[in-house]
Amino acid sequence: MTALVGPNGAGKTTLLRILSTLILPTSGEAYVDGMDVVSRAAEVRRRIGLVTVSDRLLYYRLSGLENLTFYGILYGMSVSEARSRARELLDVVGLGKWGDEPTMHYSTGMTRRLAIARALIHDPDIILLDEPTLGIDAVSSRRVRALVRSLSDGRTVVLTSHLMKEVEELSDSIYVMRAGQVIARGSPSEIISMAGRVVEAVLRREDVTPELSKFVVRDDGETVLLRAPADVVPGGAIEVREVEPALEDAYVLLAGEGGSDVRPYQFRRGGAHVRGGPV
Amino acid sequence: MGVLSKLYAYLYLRGFRVWASYRTQAVLTMLSWVLPVFTYYFTGTALGNELVSRLGTGNYTSFFVVGLAFQGYVSSTIATVSQRLRNEQLYGTLEYYVLSPSGVLGFLTYSSIWGFALNSVNAAIILAVGVALGIRFLPSGIIAASVIAALLMLSTFGIAAMSGAVVMVTKQGNPISFFFSTFTVLMGNVVFPIAALPWYLRYVSYTIPLTWALQGLRGALLYGEGIAQLLPVIGILAAFAAVTVPLGLLSYRVAFDRARRDGTLSQY
Repeated sequence: MTALVGPNGAGKTTLLRILSTLILPTSGEAYVDGMDVVSRAAEVRRRIGLVTVSDRLLYYRLSGLENLTFYGILYGMSVSEARSRARELLDVVGLGKWGDEPTMHYSTGMTRRLAIARALIHDPDIILLDEPTLGIDAVSSRRVRALVRSLSDGRTVVLTSHLMKEVEELSDSIYVMRAGQVIARGSPSEIISMAGRVVEAVLRREDVTPELSKFVVRDDGETVLLRAPADVVPGGAIEVREVEPALEDAYVLLAGEGGSDVRPYQFRRGGAHVRGGPV
Repeated sequence: MGVLSKLYAYLYLRGFRVWASYRTQAVLTMLSWVLPVFTYYFTGTALGNELVSRLGTGNYTSFFVVGLAFQGYVSSTIATVSQRLRNEQLYGTLEYYVLSPSGVLGFLTYSSIWGFALNSVNAAIILAVGVALGIRFLPSGIIAASVIAALLMLSTFGIAAMSGAVVMVTKQGNPISFFFSTFTVLMGNVVFPIAALPWYLRYVSYTIPLTWALQGLRGALLYGEGIAQLLPVIGILAAFAAVTVPLGLLSYRVAFDRARRDGTLSQY
């Protein structure tokens, strides 16, 4: 189970689409299981199952069973084989009871699980998942994560996510991307260790430089709470407390953006939604 | 077996089940098949069928009934394929056709077949209304009519592929679909005899496969002409198909390759 993490626009989804042959690389080469995604696209497609992120993805007027049967037939199954495979997968993703319901009655979480079932219809060796828990509630997310975890049994799973806890929980290896480049790779513990010693520090606002803005977790106007590697926190902090490093700390350090115009947004009741200094 | 399964998937599941689930739309579509027959029937009655008949059409009612029955094979099928592609882009499902072994060619082929199937019902209803209006179709021309209809569908398939290629690039706004759904009624020998058109528009009319197909279909269904008599029309339609099918498939493939290269497959 491999996770791709990085800020919006880092190239995670583009990479998944290149690996799934939906986008042709403008330069360089990409291989799936040793197969060139351009010259051996048809073979690559047989080996992969893709779950893209979208609000729809299915025929809403058809039932879950009909949707999966349809895609099974596209993968060369007979009607009865496709229907039988569809029923099997509906059970796997916990939608057996709702198989005959039109998918327009499904919740977002159920739709996402059905989309995962569709990716499994031809029993691929490799599953590519683009933000599988985006926009779904905590309970549904938990079910989807359990499902994703079970997929990795005997398969390669590559997923993208912005949820660091999810990535930490699910993945064996992590690639951190920024601006189309892999800037770090390793197991979750290796990536976490890149953050070094992490502290929570309270600073006066005027002591927070633009470079530190990516570490801000709370801004009270006069004081600011940072969560950052100990060696980047300037002297003169009002309060410093060491905390257990988490994947998010390493992610913010590696992939987070700092800079003069990157200051936390603030909102004050009765005031405007502004960027930067006190309202 | 594979073809039958795919027909079940595309025609029954994705075609009929989805189409019939929008009941109001289904009823309106069926009305839109029948109402023009009466519109042109009363137009013919009001203008005087004799006047129109002087243009060499024989009986005007039989002229436009055959025209309307088969015009749908062209306009609706071309619109169906491009609309289908656009819908799949909106649904986010187009990429899954690319990924499946059926591929985008399967998508094109079976979407066209759905268009043809729907229009066969349309044609049957219009011809039945024609019979109710007193038209006599001659069974001796059925084989020739079938050959001509098949060639019309083949050349339409090629044009539908070109129309799909345009949608892949423009996303919205399709001149091919627009032309064939709008101007074929005027210039495709459908309800206005070519002789009624200004001379310069007649030349445009001759470049439309439907013009020739309708000439042949009228000869076959209304006058019982056989394949031998209609060989010139069959040859012209075969030539149209020989040009439009390869050109359509090539442009369709180029459009999909371009969408993959530009990363715009799922954009709409």
